[in-house]
Amino acid sequence: MSRRSRAAVARSTASDRTLVVLAGLVLLAAGVLVALLGQGVFGTYRAQRPLIDPEISSWISDNATAARWIAIAVGVALLVVGLIWAVRSLRPEPRPDVLLSDVPGSRLSVEHSAIAEAVRADAESITGVSRARVRLVGDERRPAMRMTLWLVEDADVRDVWAEVDGRVLARARRAFAVEAIPTAVRIELDAAASKTPRVL
Amino acid sequence: MRFLLRLLSPLLGLAVAAVGVLVLIEVITAWVAPGSSPLVVPWSDWQAALTTTTWSSSVVRTAAILVAVVGLLVLLVGLVARRHDVRLTDPVPEVTVTTSPRSLARAVGHEVRSHSDVVSASVVASGGKVVVKAGTLDEPDTVRQAVRERIDELFTRLPLARRPRVSVSVAATKGVK
Repeated sequence: MSRRSRAAVARSTASDRTLVVLAGLVLLAAGVLVALLGQGVFGTYRAQRPLIDPEISSWISDNATAARWIAIAVGVALLVVGLIWAVRSLRPEPRPDVLLSDVPGSRLSVEHSAIAEAVRADAESITGVSRARVRLVGDERRPAMRMTLWLVEDADVRDVWAEVDGRVLARARRAFAVEAIPTAVRIELDAAASKTPRVL
Repeated sequence: MRFLLRLLSPLLGLAVAAVGVLVLIEVITAWVAPGSSPLVVPWSDWQAALTTTTWSSSVVRTAAILVAVVGLLVLLVGLVARRHDVRLTDPVPEVTVTTSPRSLARAVGHEVRSHSDVVSASVVASGGKVVVKAGTLDEPDTVRQAVRERIDELFTRLPLARRPRVSVSVAATKGVK
């Protein structure tokens, strides 16, 4: 449960980071290997050979059809991988509705904006909270809540927590008839102070 | 850095897809209609150049070093772009509470500046360390002690999951009190 609330803190960049790190490693390795090859580390004779080796060009002209199919397969693979990569990383994070009942014929779900708005209004009524932003993350069956609270200067974080859990989340739990809602709370401390001028 | 990652990642994906499309276009054109090949990429010129250029030529070595440097930068973007959230203790098991380093620095800064003995202060904070630089018109050593106590008091009020190390340096500022 706690793992789900931790996952709700922010959108995961794990896949983006993995792909970018891999791309960086591939480029770095290719560059370094070619530079070493040019220096003659893998043999001075090899360094003197042309980039498109006569052996390779003769193999290609001998097996023209196979070479074409290989090139087409490589092109399709690059296209598919690249498109999946781009679409996945450009897709906005989903805002799931909450499914209250899945019984066929009486399926009942609550719209995302309705929940987010209700919880936001609730959270903003807490003493010490100047502004709140609420959204749901995850999927319809296992939603989690992400809440950002801007606290005024001198707000007691523990008091705010007690209210968040005791009132705001308790009401949401009752509304959805669930034991617990995994929630990630992001707190911006002393955020309201910046509105008031510092000069006395 | 996270912004750069979110920008770079789809661009790299699109670049890979574009290379795939170009390969497909050229291969199929060369196969089906050899007369109109090359269509987009002048690959026959490239081929002619690459069959004469050797691995040890300066062009190839410069290009290789360039590619390696770009690869290193891309790798660094991927490695550095992680979140630097400051964890607070979880009030209940299913709730995770975090704050941003900037917000922690703001809170510490307000606390440090809240007394008249400090005339200026700058704070840099992360989950593990808080660095405070303050200027004062009083005796720097006593002010340093006072600032440290104030931050300690703030951290007892603020339920941080891990108490950061605090380093305070106070310098005397010229001026009349």
